Amino acid sequence: MYGGVFAYALVREHERTAAPVTAALGGVGALLLLLVLRRADADLLVWPLGLLGVGYAVAIAVRGSGLDEGAPFVAAGLLLCGELAAWSMDERFGIRADRAVVVARAVGVGALVFAGLAVAALVVALSATSAGGGLAWTVLGSIAAVGVVALGVAVARRAEA
Amino acid sequence: MTQHVSPRLAGYATIAAAALIGGLVLGRVELVAVAAPFALAAVAAPALARRPSVEATLELDRERALESETVAATLTLTAAHAADRVDVLLPLPPQLQTDARNPRAVALAAGTPKALELPLRTERWGAFVLGPALVRVRDRLGFYSWEEKLGGRAALRVYPSVETLHALLPPLETQVFIGNQVSRAKGDGIEFADIREWEPGDRLRRVNWRATARRGGLWVNDQHPERNTDVVLFLDTFTDVQAGVSGTLDMTVRAATSLAHRYLQRKDRVGVVSFGGFLSWLLPGSGTLQLYRIVDSLLQMNIVLSFAARGVDVLPPRSLPPKALVIALTPLLDPRAAAAMIDLRARGFDLVVVEVSPVPFVTAGDDPLEKLSYRLWRLSREALRARYERAGVPVVEWRDGVPLNVPLEEVAAFRRYARPARA
Repeated sequence: MYGGVFAYALVREHERTAAPVTAALGGVGALLLLLVLRRADADLLVWPLGLLGVGYAVAIAVRGSGLDEGAPFVAAGLLLCGELAAWSMDERFGIRADRAVVVARAVGVGALVFAGLAVAALVVALSATSAGGGLAWTVLGSIAAVGVVALGVAVARRAEA
Repeated sequence: MTQHVSPRLAGYATIAAAALIGGLVLGRVELVAVAAPFALAAVAAPALARRPSVEATLELDRERALESETVAATLTLTAAHAADRVDVLLPLPPQLQTDARNPRAVALAAGTPKALELPLRTERWGAFVLGPALVRVRDRLGFYSWEEKLGGRAALRVYPSVETLHALLPPLETQVFIGNQVSRAKGDGIEFADIREWEPGDRLRRVNWRATARRGGLWVNDQHPERNTDVVLFLDTFTDVQAGVSGTLDMTVRAATSLAHRYLQRKDRVGVVSFGGFLSWLLPGSGTLQLYRIVDSLLQMNIVLSFAARGVDVLPPRSLPPKALVIALTPLLDPRAAAAMIDLRARGFDLVVVEVSPVPFVTAGDDPLEKLSYRLWRLSREALRARYERAGVPVVEWRDGVPLNVPLEEVAAFRRYARPARA
């Protein structure tokens, strides 16, 4: 899954001007993912996903104007990669699970990834509509960004508690 | 329950925030789309997480078992709300093994108890306390988990298997109570001993009419009475030499159990003295209850390191009754135990030393110095045995894997040709 997203990020960049940067970031991320899986260190799981995300961001930033319709799949792919890696690490203790437990988690991961894909697709679809730009959309976007940051802080605090 | 949150939840929120800000800065909607699934996960996971309410009970189908038997342990889990994944581990001591899945992950429906069966195979004797079980409840995606020890405790006593003993050591002197041991003394009994001239008070049925007819006066039969024996199992628990699961203490406990079982079957009184870093004793008694007392005390037996000088004088007099047969089970490693046994013999006790040999558990080593040390150690053991034999104490070596009947028969042979010296 990680390789698929990595390959897509490389292919999407037509001029190949930023390909070395994307390749380097994705490659380091892939190695880091292997290391994370090997050591079963859940604290570092976010880094390979983040590095590949940065690589993808560089690729689409260099690409210039034009919407990448594959962005929802990139997002869902990254999320699925993270979830499968986390599942793999959860199973490192060799606890033999009942079939119902495995099915429940598979359904849960599938539902989350599918819902994420739907939300991402909705974002891309909304951006394609001619709703117009302006101050209102910028403010709304800023509020959303601040809200997500606040959510991150809240989750971090809850985790520490 | 102790709650844990997966670090990837904060990580997802960070990715979402970074992608969203990046999207705003670069003006790229694709990055906002990348942020969306991670933001969704970061929002949905805390919203859907619910602190579980799981209860567990641990039950055993019995509290006592013999070695190599199977005891069924049942861990019943009940949840007020449905739990998608419950990891359960019942910690087991190495002496108890199970082929069932342990740890195990199960799903619980709300209000429906789920019973997890664990057939426990008792590999070795001991007193064990099972539980509590370690229970970890996770949400469906593993973002949140809660851990707690549940199920309470259940005690299990695994008794050592009893070896069949064909013959027991007869004591030099019996006690005054009725038993199954033919006494050396003369009196009322079944076993014929001798004839003697009639004395006032002799009953008519004891008259030996053949002898009376031949000798012209009244002659009566004498018999050996059937009496009981006091047996004290003197266990040296100063040291233990082990190799794998077997060791001198393990052999000592097994031998003591077999001897106590067999002597109590014979209606003798059996007591136990554990002579080691931790001193304990059980006064001689008879019957099935005494057997359980003895075995229960043997299960608690442990090596306690101590440098305190000890002698038999610290023991209460009732723990070593007069004329008792004292069977010492010892690896002959600690000089305090060796001296105590010599002291017992000097006090006139009928002492038998069964040397639970540590030799099979010790390797000589490859170094010449180690080999020399090993030989010296063996020689010092020989010298100690000779010291006991000079005092008229039979000393027999018992090695791992050899039936206990063998050393007992050696003692009987020793007694046929040697008499104990009187101090």
